[in-house]
Amino acid sequence: MLLIRAIVRPEKKDEVLANLSGAGFNAATMVDVVGRGKQKGIKIGGMVYDEIPKVLILMVVPDEDKDKVIKIVLETGRTGANGTFGDGKIFVSPVEEVYTISRNTKGL
Amino acid sequence: MKEIMAIVRMKRTGATKKALVETGVAGFTAVKVLGRGRLITDPTVIEDCRQKLLSMGVDDFSDTDETERQVTAFLDGSRFFPRRLFTVLAHDEDVPRIVEAITKANHTDHGIGDGTIFILPVTDAVRVRTGETGEAAIW
Repeated sequence: MLLIRAIVRPEKKDEVLANLSGAGFNAATMVDVVGRGKQKGIKIGGMVYDEIPKVLILMVVPDEDKDKVIKIVLETGRTGANGTFGDGKIFVSPVEEVYTISRNTKGL
Repeated sequence: MKEIMAIVRMKRTGATKKALVETGVAGFTAVKVLGRGRLITDPTVIEDCRQKLLSMGVDDFSDTDETERQVTAFLDGSRFFPRRLFTVLAHDEDVPRIVEAITKANHTDHGIGDGTIFILPVTDAVRVRTGETGEAAIW
């Protein structure tokens, strides 16, 4: 199992989630977050905005589905032809165990 | 050292907190999140409930298609519902106890939507107050 944390633009959230659901990855958790990246935020005039709103999507998927999920997020989360600064990041971490509470079982 | 991420019903936040204290794990971090789970692919499962909700929702004023779309999304799992994400840091040997306590506090008879528990490995932790690292930093 792998935990995929994808940080995407808020306006791309619905599209990304719809595409994931269409590909069979319906289960997801999302949180509204703020953050900045390598560019140290956005500078408009003299004002620096370093708490830029993003949406964090959390998904736990079996190891073999990792590439599919990442491909969908990369393709839909991108803006413009070659992507733009601020389109987000994807982090992948290992998950050792998963329990489903409603069925009281181990596994997704 | 393990990180336990538990996604639970909003209403069960209190019960989960109580269960954690009773297990001897007082420290946790909680965030309000939106979540969804498995998609219901077999429409016969939700048909009864769908008809019931539609009969309540359809009136002369609202758009029938829109009502139908919303009711279906509400039942088939494609809509996001508010949930609480608990993050608990624990020693390896305490993990089964905590998982059992959270499961017990959150299990309902609905059969769906009670949440999921993920267990992730943690390489290091630091307590800011004292600078302790590793297992000593947890509790």
